[in-house]
Amino acid sequence: MTKPIIFIPILACAGLLTGCFGYPRLVNYPFDPGGRSINSLASELNPQTSGRYIVFTSDRRGSQDVYLFDTLTRNLMDLPGLNALDTIASHPSVSEDARYIVFAASRQGRSAIFLYDRETRQSRNLTANLQAEVRNPTISADGSRIAFEFSNNGQWDISVYDRSGQPVNVPQDPR
Amino acid sequence: MKKFTSQFWLQRPIYWGLFFGLTGLLSSCGSGDIPLGPTSLNSRYTEEQPALSGNGRFLALISNRNSTHQLLVYDLQQQSFISIPGLNRRETIIESPSLSYTGRYIAYLTSDQGRPVVALYDRATQQSQIVTPTYRGWVRNPAISPDGRYIVFETAARGQWDIEVLDRGPTIELDIPNGATVNPPQ
Repeated sequence: MTKPIIFIPILACAGLLTGCFGYPRLVNYPFDPGGRSINSLASELNPQTSGRYIVFTSDRRGSQDVYLFDTLTRNLMDLPGLNALDTIASHPSVSEDARYIVFAASRQGRSAIFLYDRETRQSRNLTANLQAEVRNPTISADGSRIAFEFSNNGQWDISVYDRSGQPVNVPQDPR
Repeated sequence: MKKFTSQFWLQRPIYWGLFFGLTGLLSSCGSGDIPLGPTSLNSRYTEEQPALSGNGRFLALISNRNSTHQLLVYDLQQQSFISIPGLNRRETIIESPSLSYTGRYIAYLTSDQGRPVVALYDRATQQSQIVTPTYRGWVRNPAISPDGRYIVFETAARGQWDIEVLDRGPTIELDIPNGATVNPPQ
């Protein structure tokens, strides 16, 4: 009579085990205290993925900088000319081919949205002519459009630009 | 045997109670969506946390219009909001939206019994599911990959903000452009 009862914990354990190997599950990337991997002893903020690449900010070198992690080679990629010691970079976003990275940066007391091109290694200020506080930029995976928040009449609104820095026409009520 | 039947008869009203209780739950879940308010992208109230779909056509945002904190998806091509039935609920708050390539999947942060969880809305089935049900600890800022397979988010598991990557598995329907080649899983 007691034998069928024994099977209940066994089946429950088997169910738990298969649960561990099922999806969705967390991907393990190596933890590196030296700061050459995705996670370090410092904080990592605002991750954004475009499939193969994960872009995020970290203050592992004392200044909050943008980092780009390649999940295929499991290495950080070089971003020459993007990070500066006197700049707080935040909220980065990367296109699918990892050519364009858009981020908000606070430089000399003014925040602006920058578009970094990995081919030319240049950052371009998209909001130089916008008299507003800006934050939270994002770029589409195909790199065609950029959206961000800007302060307008005492509250946050959203503006959409194309990659060349021209505002996309979005109608506003009342039309 | 007599004892068994008497027990059965006693329990029967409980089944009826369950039946009515569950139908009550179902009908209460279906009670209408939150009205939208103004139909332009920006309103007199705060619009924040923009997220573009991979093809640049859709824009997800959090808006405070109509005195609710709601997630909206704007179609930049049609210049109107698209309907996302069942996503916004009256008794909870949604933060940090993120869109896949054609906007089929919407990953966002919400709370389940006071615990922050990452949830995923599928516009094809019009249903939400929690993707971090067994995850212990605080989570923040989820972002979904364009194909919809991976979700990255911040976690406080190590006593500071770190990045965790969630793999939804090789069997999900990927959100990729028409005619694109499917890469084998890495």
